[in-house]
Amino acid sequence: MTTEHTRKLIALTAIWAALLLAPYWMAPLGGYTALATRVLVLGLAAMSVNFLLGFTGVLSFGHAAYFGLGAYGAGLTLKFLAPSTPLSLLFGMLLGGVAGAILGALIARRRGVYFAMVTIAFGQVFYYIAFQWSSLTGGDDGLRGFSRQPLDLGLVKIDILSNADNFYYFVLLCFALAVGIMGFLLRSPFGRTMIAIRENERRARFLGIPVERHIWIAFTLSCFFMGFAGALYALVNNFADPRGLHYSQSGDFVMMAVMGGMRNFWGPLLGATVFVVLQDYLSSVTVNWMSFVGMLFVLVVLFFPRGLLGFVRRKSDA
Amino acid sequence: MTQLLLFNITNGLIIGAFYVLMALGLSLILNLSNVINFAHGGFLVVGGYIAYTITPYVGFWGALLIAPPLTAAIGLAVERVLIRPLYGRDPLYSLLLTFGLAFIIEDGTRFIWGAQGKPVTIPTFLGQPLSYDFFFITGYRLFMVIVVVITVALLFVLLRYTRLGIRIRAGTLDLETVSALGVNVRMLRSLNFAVGIFLAGLSGVLAAGQLGLEPTMGTGLLMPSFIAIIVGGVGSLPGTLLGGLLIGVASGMTAVFFPAASEAIMYVLMAVVLLIRPRGLLGEEGMLT
Amino acid sequence: MNVLEVHNVTKRFGSLIAVRDVSLSVPKSQLRAIIGPNGAGKTTFFNLISGFSTPTAGSISFDNRDITALPAHQRVALGMARTFQITEIFPELTVFENVRIGIEVASGYHLRPWISRSEKAEVHRRIDDTLKLVALEAKTGRLVGELAHGDQRAAEIAMALSLRPHLLLLDEPTAGMGDQETYEITQLIRRLHRDADLTIVLIEHDMRVVFHLADRISVLDQGKLLAEGTPQEIAANDVVQAAYLGKAA
Repeated sequence: MTTEHTRKLIALTAIWAALLLAPYWMAPLGGYTALATRVLVLGLAAMSVNFLLGFTGVLSFGHAAYFGLGAYGAGLTLKFLAPSTPLSLLFGMLLGGVAGAILGALIARRRGVYFAMVTIAFGQVFYYIAFQWSSLTGGDDGLRGFSRQPLDLGLVKIDILSNADNFYYFVLLCFALAVGIMGFLLRSPFGRTMIAIRENERRARFLGIPVERHIWIAFTLSCFFMGFAGALYALVNNFADPRGLHYSQSGDFVMMAVMGGMRNFWGPLLGATVFVVLQDYLSSVTVNWMSFVGMLFVLVVLFFPRGLLGFVRRKSDA
Repeated sequence: MTQLLLFNITNGLIIGAFYVLMALGLSLILNLSNVINFAHGGFLVVGGYIAYTITPYVGFWGALLIAPPLTAAIGLAVERVLIRPLYGRDPLYSLLLTFGLAFIIEDGTRFIWGAQGKPVTIPTFLGQPLSYDFFFITGYRLFMVIVVVITVALLFVLLRYTRLGIRIRAGTLDLETVSALGVNVRMLRSLNFAVGIFLAGLSGVLAAGQLGLEPTMGTGLLMPSFIAIIVGGVGSLPGTLLGGLLIGVASGMTAVFFPAASEAIMYVLMAVVLLIRPRGLLGEEGMLT
Repeated sequence: MNVLEVHNVTKRFGSLIAVRDVSLSVPKSQLRAIIGPNGAGKTTFFNLISGFSTPTAGSISFDNRDITALPAHQRVALGMARTFQITEIFPELTVFENVRIGIEVASGYHLRPWISRSEKAEVHRRIDDTLKLVALEAKTGRLVGELAHGDQRAAEIAMALSLRPHLLLLDEPTAGMGDQETYEITQLIRRLHRDADLTIVLIEHDMRVVFHLADRISVLDQGKLLAEGTPQEIAANDVVQAAYLGKAA
């Protein structure tokens, strides 16, 4: 086993150890389990954005829309369809993913800032719908009146509503599932074509890769992951927020990915941790937390564009 | 029936004129520097608040003349310090920067002037409706349209006949060649940015008189500007002009028949255009990256 | 049989005519060189053949099949591969990984989320074979961006070869190279031509390379086809000689 291999294995073990034991080491540090749950879900969202941004090199800035759709999908399922947590997750994911598939098809030919503009505009359509269709979505107040249901495993019912630790481990399980699939995809031949497109789109095209089609597929996949994360988020809060669909939420996710390091698989999770903790802290000490968040954006972009894990570079095996 | 139609088209054109002003500034910056200025709405707000602050000293007309250039100067400083370092890099970074900037500006205006909306006084003779039939065309709204028309005309003259304008247009098509011809591209971008922000500041002064003033008003106007650019065609200023007017008219007309959908119609229009003519109505082939 | 046939192809950019009514036929197993001064339209011509842009007029057929409107990636699938004037590679991936992508696409795996162990072994074997063809098997773990210029070119050719083409388009393969590297690339191209029996069309400025390798030469000037013939004929052609051969080498 090469040194790079061993390094990766150690890092991986450390990450999962930290995640599995979070409820235990967070309390002494002044944290609380629900915060960890939030970080996991937002981290998953940031990783889903990065699936497209960091690994395919596509600038989608309106991705929060699919996150929000996932949240509303889960909420609506629980409120009107059936009191089943797994079902709400499924429907949330489907809503986000299918919307992504349709919209992705419309814009797969664009690139660069134009692509970003159109993704933002499209995202705003859903924001607008969530606001206007208040009879269904609760409008400005958001979707309420639902809560996460206990998990019925036949022999035993697990209460995830009032037990924060139980819920955390449930979310961790979902996270592990999603992240596992994501990693698997990135290491597959298809995943390699995504990276090829990021590295050199022209060369990818001249190797016979149907670039537009692959970008559409990557876009759709990342929207499914986003929808899933959004559905989880609705469960975290027992509430779906129209602001979760706004492009400023997209900006937050992109910033998490950049801050943690876009070229690294786990970067966005780290970025999400820092971002969430920082935002939590700032909003409790000052009313002008918005300017601080804005300044954070500016500082990261100007001085730390590679992010926290950006210094981890590949080396040649001589 | 035709009178109602005429009514609404005119109303829509008035709305559209305003969108045009905003969108043109955004489009200028986008075309030359490949930067989506999320802070454009913020500069609009800044322009409005500056006008509000100096009106007691120089009056309405003074504010109209002074606030936009002042806003442009602020924009110039921002471009020089924050945006210039990012030109060579992936457009992602300038996006994130203007994004953060928008937050800072919104919070900053809230900090300086307070979160409450501010009342703005306009000269009384402008506040009157012009005629009984066309009651919705108050003097102020007509005045707004006149200002927009004059500004757009001046912009056109600037771009067509002045050296700066010609260089901006050439730079939009081929920045490398322009640079090879000895033009100081960095200064060009800065000046172009300043012109764009001037338009944003002017929009802010005009909007203040119509809508009142509050820190969050800029963000609501950013989306219609986006849509105007997408509909009209990226890379084309006449397209942005057309796009702005179109969505204004569409919005105004829908407001009569389906009031709730007057904002939605803009998005529908955008979707239709993207489906039928993806490069936009007047967009150029190959301007898409 | 002609592998490539180009009929009266013209490419206009606005009022600029980059390629003017050029025709070309390349039979199987020929090595054709396209020469001409800078700005003659050679790369534009290549772009038309490879699908990077579409001709304003005229038609192109590949193996007797009309490909004039076919997108680039589909021409690749039919057996055409090209290299670029400025090497287009994946600099932050290793040589191995660079070649792997082409082989996976050529094997039809590019949409697969998973490949079996035997398929993977086959892919690895073909990567090794391709790297041996270009003499890069010793550098398989190196990041391509860190390689010397000549090796980068060889890597790019390996990527083109990974697609199992029967027509190879090489755009100035020796550009920016010193004598030693030029010699090595020339030998490589000759090997590919003879041993792998590839049909090759190459754009070149270095006349030594051209006369060393080409079966037939086409000369372009200002977008037009000036002359075509064997190396001896071209060398003896007064018009061509006056215009270009004095300048080159």
